[in-house]
Amino acid sequence: MNTRVIHTPEGVRDIYGSECREKRRLMAAIRDVFERYGCEEIETPAIEYFDVFSSDIGTTASRELFKFFDRDGNTLVLRPDFTPSVARAVSMHMPEEAMPVRLSYEGSTFRNNAEYQYQGRLKEATQMGVEFIGDGSAEADAEVIALTCEMLLASGLKEFQVSVGEVDFFKALVEGTGLTDESVEEIRKLISNKNFFGVEELLDGEDLDPTTKAALIRLPQLFGGGEVLDEAAAFSDQGRTDAAIARLRRINELLAARGLDKYVSYDFGLLSKYRYYTGIIFSAFTYGVGEPVAKGGRYDNLLGNFGRDYPAVGMGLYLDQLMNALSRQGIRQG
Amino acid sequence: MRPITIALTKGRLAKKTLDLFERVGITADGTKVEDSRKLIFKNEELGLQFFLAKGPDVPTYVYYGAADIGIVGRDTIMEERLKLYEVLDLGYGKCRMCVCGPESARKYLESGDQIRVATKYPNIAKDYFLNRKHQTVEIIKLNGSIELAPIVGLSEVIVDIVETGATLRENGLDVLEEVCPLSARMVVNQVSMKMENERISEIIRLLKAELAREAAEKAAARR
Repeated sequence: MNTRVIHTPEGVRDIYGSECREKRRLMAAIRDVFERYGCEEIETPAIEYFDVFSSDIGTTASRELFKFFDRDGNTLVLRPDFTPSVARAVSMHMPEEAMPVRLSYEGSTFRNNAEYQYQGRLKEATQMGVEFIGDGSAEADAEVIALTCEMLLASGLKEFQVSVGEVDFFKALVEGTGLTDESVEEIRKLISNKNFFGVEELLDGEDLDPTTKAALIRLPQLFGGGEVLDEAAAFSDQGRTDAAIARLRRINELLAARGLDKYVSYDFGLLSKYRYYTGIIFSAFTYGVGEPVAKGGRYDNLLGNFGRDYPAVGMGLYLDQLMNALSRQGIRQG
Repeated sequence: MRPITIALTKGRLAKKTLDLFERVGITADGTKVEDSRKLIFKNEELGLQFFLAKGPDVPTYVYYGAADIGIVGRDTIMEERLKLYEVLDLGYGKCRMCVCGPESARKYLESGDQIRVATKYPNIAKDYFLNRKHQTVEIIKLNGSIELAPIVGLSEVIVDIVETGATLRENGLDVLEEVCPLSARMVVNQVSMKMENERISEIIRLLKAELAREAAEKAAARR
């Protein structure tokens, strides 16, 4: 006997009725913000070659990718996020003269994660986002953060925090310490979990310069308003960490000038497992969901993987998470 | 003011934690009543509330933001693998995660043969054998009385928490390898840490200062 299948596979779902209407309204409101910031829309295919998301580029763990083969035996994947796809498309279609460009995208992303049972982590999730390509300035960083704030305000959220960090600060600190890649990865994990006593334990046996050691132990607690920039400066004894702090100061000024600084805080312990980030990195948090609703950062070397040397900064919004947050905070669209 | 909610692991850990909070001047109504049936204890003045939950549920409450702060053993944090901030080692509830079995099972751990491992902590056991020992194992998840498994022949060894080792010895088992040390930890929801930074940081600072003071006192007494 044939059983008729009417339910969806695990980790994906139907969206219909008022939820679907709300989602569309929300997407339209966010699209307006993207347009106001001068973004051109771009569409990339949901299917890409595996290499676009390979571990050299450092986005999603290979086992979390949906993989399959084409007729010639090439490995294909369903995109797990947009940034590498957009970087690839820009490298293919946009010459030097076209730079800088501001692009926006929207669509489904796919992750074959085992944690589908946790809130909001579906296997197919809608992402909207922007990529500012060909502009390496702090002004571009500040623009993307400002856009993130305005996008969240346009969605109806009132209480949220965009937490901004600088991965280069951490990278500069650990470089030249002689720590193995495994230890650096372990420290990165501990710092992003704010586990400073774990960092202390791990560094206990290591022969490190005392300022660097103190800075690494302090890093997980180095977050808050503009004042943490001054505190971080105390741990900075080299050009690269100074440059990272100077950049955040400039961003802070630019955001303050737009009256958005109340939504922004700084966190030197904010690090990403995505290895393509090279400068600022940020996450937007709000009540009602356990994870950030939007994430972004600067990735100046990513386009290099596709043969172009363009600096870039971008932001991706997890629309389903934002919808969860809005409904749990009792905020309705329109 | 939005109350800060703290989830405590039911049992000894909750008692020790409430004692610690009391020592820094944070109390809550009703926590002194033994065997109370109340689920939530409030301190309206400080805008705090506590509730009791089963250990493995504490990280879940905190991850979803139903609690801002959780007090839970490191074993549970490692097993549940949710993205949380682990901000403080409270120093009590000290014990070890160990591979245990009869002395005769030691040879299996050295040979690299495929063996059966019974445990309440399948993620921790899998991580230890696969990633650290590079040994293929079959993990058998049990919910209690793990010591029974090697005795009745369900598994060669077990991975479990060892405090004094008395239960093990009584059943003819020994600690064969140590996986990691454990103690009570304070975990914080990522969003709460950003949105309520000042209030949560103040609680952490108070507890940390008290723990440091007590550690110094103990060290002085020993001298």
